[in-house]
Amino acid sequence: MPVTQTVPTPERELKWVGKSIRRVEDPKFLTGRGGYVDDIVLPGMLHAAVLRSPHAHARIRRVDTEAARRLPGVVAVVTGAEAAELCNPMPDFGPAPDKHVWRCLAVDKVRHVGEGVAVVVAESRYLAEDARDLIEVDYEPLPAVVDPMAAMDPSAPLVHEALGSNVAYQRTFVFGDVERDFAEADLVVRDHLRWRRSGGQPLETVGAVADYDPATGMLTIHCNSLTFTHFLFMLAGTLKVPANRLDIRPTPAGGSFGSKFWAVKVAAIAGMLAKKLGRPVKLIEDRVDNLSNCDHHGSDRIYDLELAVMKDGTLRGIKFDVVDDYGAYIQFGTGTHGNSLAQCVGPYRIGSVQYAVRAVLTNKCQQGAHRGFGSEVTNWAIERMVDLAARELGMDPVEIRRRNFIRPDQFPYFIPSGNVYDSGNYEGVMNTALQLADYDHWRREQERLRREGRYIGIGVISCQERSVFSATEFWFWFDEPAAKVTSAPESVTLSVDPTGGITATLYSNAFWGNSSDTVVAQLVAEEFDVDPHSVNVVYSGSNRGLPATGPGGSRFTVMVAGAINGAATRIKEKARKVAGHVLEVDPEDLEWAGGGFRVKGAPERRLSLAEIALQTYLFKHSLPDEIETGLEASKVYDHPYTTMPSDDRTNLGVFYPFVGNACHVPVIEVDPETGAISYLRYVAVHDAGTMVNPRGLEGQIIGGTAHGIGTALFEEYVYDHDGQLLTTSYMDYLIPSAMEVPEVIVGHQETPSPFTVHGIKGGGEGGRMMTPAALSAAIDDALAPLGVRCTELPATPERIRRWIEEARARAGTR
Amino acid sequence: MKPPPFVYHAPSTIAEATALLHEAGEEGRVLAGGQSLIPLMNFRLARPGHLVDVTTVRALDYIRADDGQLRIGAAARQSAVERDQTAAARTPLLVEALHLVGHEPIRHRGTVVGSLAHADPSAEIPAVALAMGAELTAVGPRGERRIPASDFFTGPFSTALETGELLTEVSFPTWPPGTGHAFLEFARRHGDFAVAGAAALVHLEGEVVDRVAIALCGVAGTPVRATEAESRLLGERPTPAAIEAAAEAATSDLAPASDIHGSSAYRRQVARTYVRRALTLAVERARGGSR
Amino acid sequence: MMDRHRIALTVNGRPYEAEVESRRLLVDFLREDLGLKGAHIGCEHGVCGTCTVLMDGESIRSCITLAVQANGSSILTVEGLATDGRLHPLQEAFWDNQALQCGYCTPGMLLRAYELLREQPRPTAAQVREAIASNLCRCTGYQFIVEAVLDAATRLEAAAPSQGHEPAASRA
Repeated sequence: MPVTQTVPTPERELKWVGKSIRRVEDPKFLTGRGGYVDDIVLPGMLHAAVLRSPHAHARIRRVDTEAARRLPGVVAVVTGAEAAELCNPMPDFGPAPDKHVWRCLAVDKVRHVGEGVAVVVAESRYLAEDARDLIEVDYEPLPAVVDPMAAMDPSAPLVHEALGSNVAYQRTFVFGDVERDFAEADLVVRDHLRWRRSGGQPLETVGAVADYDPATGMLTIHCNSLTFTHFLFMLAGTLKVPANRLDIRPTPAGGSFGSKFWAVKVAAIAGMLAKKLGRPVKLIEDRVDNLSNCDHHGSDRIYDLELAVMKDGTLRGIKFDVVDDYGAYIQFGTGTHGNSLAQCVGPYRIGSVQYAVRAVLTNKCQQGAHRGFGSEVTNWAIERMVDLAARELGMDPVEIRRRNFIRPDQFPYFIPSGNVYDSGNYEGVMNTALQLADYDHWRREQERLRREGRYIGIGVISCQERSVFSATEFWFWFDEPAAKVTSAPESVTLSVDPTGGITATLYSNAFWGNSSDTVVAQLVAEEFDVDPHSVNVVYSGSNRGLPATGPGGSRFTVMVAGAINGAATRIKEKARKVAGHVLEVDPEDLEWAGGGFRVKGAPERRLSLAEIALQTYLFKHSLPDEIETGLEASKVYDHPYTTMPSDDRTNLGVFYPFVGNACHVPVIEVDPETGAISYLRYVAVHDAGTMVNPRGLEGQIIGGTAHGIGTALFEEYVYDHDGQLLTTSYMDYLIPSAMEVPEVIVGHQETPSPFTVHGIKGGGEGGRMMTPAALSAAIDDALAPLGVRCTELPATPERIRRWIEEARARAGTR
Repeated sequence: MKPPPFVYHAPSTIAEATALLHEAGEEGRVLAGGQSLIPLMNFRLARPGHLVDVTTVRALDYIRADDGQLRIGAAARQSAVERDQTAAARTPLLVEALHLVGHEPIRHRGTVVGSLAHADPSAEIPAVALAMGAELTAVGPRGERRIPASDFFTGPFSTALETGELLTEVSFPTWPPGTGHAFLEFARRHGDFAVAGAAALVHLEGEVVDRVAIALCGVAGTPVRATEAESRLLGERPTPAAIEAAAEAATSDLAPASDIHGSSAYRRQVARTYVRRALTLAVERARGGSR
Repeated sequence: MMDRHRIALTVNGRPYEAEVESRRLLVDFLREDLGLKGAHIGCEHGVCGTCTVLMDGESIRSCITLAVQANGSSILTVEGLATDGRLHPLQEAFWDNQALQCGYCTPGMLLRAYELLREQPRPTAAQVREAIASNLCRCTGYQFIVEAVLDAATRLEAAAPSQGHEPAASRA
């Protein structure tokens, strides 16, 4: 059972890690030369457009493509049935993928509005859409199952007949002595909560340009999604090409927020078409494609919750009963609940957890990844219950949290589910947030403004942001998993050229906007004492690539830091030997300083990295025998701290160990007539361990907060009773503009992880993981005189207004 | 999301434009700013066979004041009217409403007349036209005719214009000096269509309202003129109670359509709030208060 | 039968003549026919603003503008902001303030900010925020963009007029 060593803190001061340098990747974006996937043009390239189902659930009786094929400029029209000859089903990490078969285009029936049924390839996208209009599909509509509670009924229409049920997975986990904690509690608070689905919705959709060379059998696909490269052999299997003839080449992504994490369907369709036609094919999702058919809708949960509490506010145990509406497919299984279980007690010393989960299938787009990957929902649920307990006990929400925080001397702290929180100082974070928020002042202001009849609210929440998932969270759901995958790598190759110039090669689509180039440049600069802007960061295609999981679960910086440290260590080992040989000293008598090796005690006897490199490239006969020409090293860095679950699953092991924490304090005003919210102040204090580029992290915190405001107040994929998607444009799916987002006052705390290089933890998802809980608390607080409680998100103005009316009706007032 | 094929025409005169529209018949649509039409075409929800560009008729690009009217030609852009000094002086209600129409890049292309012809029930400009008693000029096979705003909007996205007719101008009558105006709306985000919006014009004779107009958007299939509420306020002092009663009268009979941005009941209730707020602000301005 | 029209326009100070199908969107003309990839496609219905360019000095959404409607106009895209390889002060300010993360909204934001600062050389933070509300950003939460625009305003004020930070297109 591999357990990581703690990583010793470096003795010297860091020069580049911790500096808010301007980003190395910006010039191309600033000048319109970003190189996004739609910028790629290949000679002879064709354009594809997917025909999508207008029905939520229907058999496909007949697809008539005759008129479409005959349109001038059209090169091919491929139906789902034809695609099923050309391709195998999509790779699927869910339970029973043989019983709920997911294909790139629907064959016998469609299972959600927007599901693709055919694809046109033409000389231009315009012509492809013209031809698409001419395809006639004979559908036999079937009753749609839309409500997840109704979907569980045995008489409900089945999304997948072969599965025999719409419940794709259910299990109850018990961690710790739940029975005792609930029996001994002075009070059990209960609530029913609803979190509705929203999604990443980056401004750039998923796209691919595929190119097949029949002479070599090589299928090259340029794509803005390249993650889990070690699983790409499955995509090759889908495309019926040998795994060593598939090359996915990453392009910078115009945002992802999870939705480009293993977003392979567009690449599969483009690849299939390129292989069939022997010409390059470009397929870019348009916005309607992405809203309805992206395979990455977020969590869609119904909770029944119980929290066992003592009179003095001590939290004893928590029970989750959650129904999650996964849509028509379940590609990642219940991995999003793994994220929940990674931090299912929040920052508190809650001793026991019962977690009952039911994954239900309905006629909607399937879930995928959405910034937080399910843990942000659990954060919200936990904080809602803690606030409820505080209200029922008449305790201040700040006080109840203080009483229950895990203390700084208790780390590493193992939570009931088995995961570990590596380090933290939660009270410190909250104190900083309250101070930055001028909390006492706003409580006084609240009093004063309440007397004027205004509804001011202050939210105070403290939530975890786990980072760096292990592979186990995708299979510990089953007592007998199909594959107990334990690899979760990230890789880097560092190459020093004869002039000392350094190139860092990355192997996944690391760039989603998360400053991957800059972070890598800073880490490399730290290792080799060079200017970060001199480091060349390049991205390799998968075919000659090392295994790389990519960003997601806020894992990239931690993992690439480990990989860079590993590769740099190998380079320095080699360089040391060469330097020792050239300087004619024992390599152990050398020390690394000032960008080179020097003799301890005789610092004037030194060689720079460039001098060493030149030696290594040109003068083989002057090197020790075992030294090969060149100065390059790779490191495949695997997850540094994973432990296996127990057989009975009462302990899931360590699977998400680098856990940050944050406290958000919004001060809002609610307009009781409209339910509209305006901001008086917004403070966010985050602790994600050591920061590599503080300004960069701050930008992601503010962006994540804006994203969280969208989740909390504006965004939802709305389906009606017939499964029609009502949010099919950006006039209905509402992303906050600059006027809907306040200025965010950001504070930082750095409690390093003992287990990672430099003590870094992941911080990219944190903002969104906090804001829904924070705004819900602020809404409750603002409307406390009315007894309103926010139990559903998004808390749109109309919902808030309805809660006010219901509260007034309960109180008998108008 | 690319538009389907069509034939584009760039006439230079009104006569040319109307002839083209006449020839195109049911397949013909006028293209002004395109800020509403082209998105619909990109979604392929609109598929006109012919687009007749009215903005290439230079003679229609004007904003001018004469004899108590502000006349705006069909090619005049919303942002040009928004910045126009004469409009600011003569039709401040229109200018205030324009600030809420989408965002500036949309207003750089969109036209005032185009917004009227498009007749989106949630749009601001039609409500202003109704409140101010504007008049539209249409030119077509039957020649030229004037259509009062109160007759112009016939349903969601539907107007009294006949096939082959082109709107060439809208004229807004100037209200007397001392009129207080307000256009306020509730939208999900800054720049979005109104969930409910209210236009109010109030003129006082001493303490008493001697002229008032209230119109709403987002509450029905067309903009709505709240005549019942207006008659309640006429001749009365605009006290908070009177204003509240007017807001109630303006909205109690409304049955707005429900959609994901607002149920019928919610829209009605927001409309009532905004009629009250708009009237309150208009009265304050009429009394010489905030500008 | 495709309906095609000859158009003549200036883009970033250079004159172009082309024959385009009447339905061709301006954003596709710029990206595909002229090879200027800086204007991006995000929604194709005029909401997100990633396609923003300046037409005759005014910001517009090129995804809901036809190329034929640009006949006779002068267009400025992000590629026209830098002069002689030197970044415009707005671009420098965005860089220094980390006002971009994925970069997809950035060309549109730069042009919108360029327009704002020309109209309003000393905007307040609130004015900047309202002006950029026309352009969505999913990454930054807008704050560093506001800071960058205010920073650029200061730099532009401080720069001597003779240094000529006017991009080529606006001198045409």
